[in-house]
Amino acid sequence: MHRIIIALGLLVGAALPAAAQTAPAAAGPTLSAVRARGALSCAISTGDPGWSQPDSRGVWQGMDADICRAIAAAVLGDPKKVVWQHLTGQNRFPALTSGQVEVLTRTTTWTFMRDATIGMNFTAPNFYDGQGFLVRAESGITSAKQLDGATICFTSASTHELNLQDWSRANNIHFTPAIFADKDEARRAYESNRCDSYTGDASQLAAVRAAFPNPSEHVLLPDRISKEPYAPSVRQGDDQWFDIVRFVVYGLIEAEELGITQANADEMLAKSPRPAVQRLLGKTGDLGPAIGLDRAWMLNAIKAVGNYGEIYDRHLGKNSPVQLPRGLNELWNRGGLLVSPPMR
Amino acid sequence: MSMIRKAVAAMLLALAAGPAAAQTMAAPGPTLQAVRARGAVDCGAHPGAPGLGLMDSQGVYRGLEADTCRAIAAAVLGDPNKVRWVVLTSAARLPALQSGQIDVLPRTTTWTQSRDTANGLNFTVVNFYDGQGFLVRKSLGVKRAKELDGASICVTSGTTNELNLADWARANHITIRPVVFEQNDETRNAYKAGRCDAFSTDASQLAGLRVTLPDPDEHVILPDIISKEPLSPAVRHGDDQWFDIVKWTIYALIEAEELGVTQANVDEALKSENPAIRRLLGTSGDHGPFMGLDRRWAYNAIKAVGNYGEIFERNLGQGSPLKLPRGMNDLWTRGGLMYAMPIR
Repeated sequence: MHRIIIALGLLVGAALPAAAQTAPAAAGPTLSAVRARGALSCAISTGDPGWSQPDSRGVWQGMDADICRAIAAAVLGDPKKVVWQHLTGQNRFPALTSGQVEVLTRTTTWTFMRDATIGMNFTAPNFYDGQGFLVRAESGITSAKQLDGATICFTSASTHELNLQDWSRANNIHFTPAIFADKDEARRAYESNRCDSYTGDASQLAAVRAAFPNPSEHVLLPDRISKEPYAPSVRQGDDQWFDIVRFVVYGLIEAEELGITQANADEMLAKSPRPAVQRLLGKTGDLGPAIGLDRAWMLNAIKAVGNYGEIYDRHLGKNSPVQLPRGLNELWNRGGLLVSPPMR
Repeated sequence: MSMIRKAVAAMLLALAAGPAAAQTMAAPGPTLQAVRARGAVDCGAHPGAPGLGLMDSQGVYRGLEADTCRAIAAAVLGDPNKVRWVVLTSAARLPALQSGQIDVLPRTTTWTQSRDTANGLNFTVVNFYDGQGFLVRKSLGVKRAKELDGASICVTSGTTNELNLADWARANHITIRPVVFEQNDETRNAYKAGRCDAFSTDASQLAGLRVTLPDPDEHVILPDIISKEPLSPAVRHGDDQWFDIVKWTIYALIEAEELGVTQANVDEALKSENPAIRRLLGTSGDHGPFMGLDRRWAYNAIKAVGNYGEIFERNLGQGSPLKLPRGMNDLWTRGGLMYAMPIR
């Protein structure tokens, strides 16, 4: 009996890749729900420069918002079909695990406890950050180790408090915590001198600093006290949806590596002889149908928001006020850590 | 405020694996139950890939992939020897995982999108970044891959190597004559016997083959790498707990190297005050129990096979005949791509 089951399994296993060539895989529960609603329910912040915040016309802009748009474009063919869910550090996980949102992009660090204990799966890292400290220039502080005795503002239910505790214990530094429910409150508290320093991920501090009336009055200390790899996450239990989100993120990274941009995607589709380009854009192969999507899934995503490098430059890099160098967030073949598995 | 602070404190406590959580051990999922009942982890093994997976003269399976499997067995069962090796050809490995014949496939398998999405499996963590290269006889006078126009090239069928070779030849307008075999051994023997001008597979395997030739100095590995070949152990869809166990065991080996925890000093490290080391080794927190494992899961793995760097050097690097440089497989802090998601 046992042997028969294995034999059947082998047959099914051998048949699967062939089936993907002819018809799209059947839609799983999450994909079906998104299609029935006609929109992706995507979690972003309540306002976080560079990641998700409204522009002058009220359109949400940032890397996290664009990841949501890319997924909507890949799944529904339209980057506008997103229902924005604005969540705090505290309510983001219940929102994901209860089914209120299908994707959580909200600057969320991939940690063991989140990954292994609350019913969620992180998909693919899309930003490598690290926790730093913002201080007023007039304080004369130039290193985090001078923060002994300081009052430090941060957001509750974030990894920042844990990191801060670890770091202070390891370095025998005592601080007074000033904890706030969201980033706006913490930032305002820092602005109004209720704390000596504001701690958070360096990319966010760079954005906060850029938004102050006089950025030069504030200094981002060089110390990084943590690894903060951000990754969009999904609920456990729907592997197809996990694959969809994972490979949209990787697809944007692969597009940059292959030189496919928002501007040239159509031309690359028509003219590129490179097999890797043809596969990613759906001219050959069945990468989209294998996850229940259209062949043009990545073409739609890239035309909507550009490749990873374009998204980065627009919101965090050289075309943004934040002016954060690519650093670890460069491609693997240019000294960074971003690498997609081969899209084949 | 005090209510909020209390709620926040409770949540942080939960996320930090506080004493309350310590009472409950996660229930074992189907794979963990099966492994425990059997008293062994069934691991997919390679018929022969020096440095990665190869039976030595005493019949002991050696290599980076072999040690990865031992680490999983140590983490799950407390004993690195509780492994059953199931030797699989390239064509048989994915069906073997899908059908349940093995629990984990750490067998030099490139993580590609089609494998990840069309075969009912999940890749866990890249444990070796490889790339496809070419081995040629020095007497051929070829210095670069593009000079192989018109050459006959030995390659194993059913592998990504065969596809890459076709892609690369097409993209570079090079005509090659593939000489195809089903087994790596056959392909190697054909090259040894002079039945083809070049042998193409991942560079790590070429390095292994080269040292087994009677006259290694008469053969050269060309500098060109024509593909990304990120090797990653894979698990079946549908058991997220087992997915987490394999994923975090690999991250733990990388994290151990970053924290300086070695096979030799791991007992001493149990006394460390460093919070990251305490969490890794289970002297604080309940990371193991949250996955249904002992608190000492990562300690047992490191004690059995050492940290990632030790595994690499022993099998592929300076402690091995292959003498492969760390390259892309060095830690992210030293210019490589190896980066463990934070264990917290």
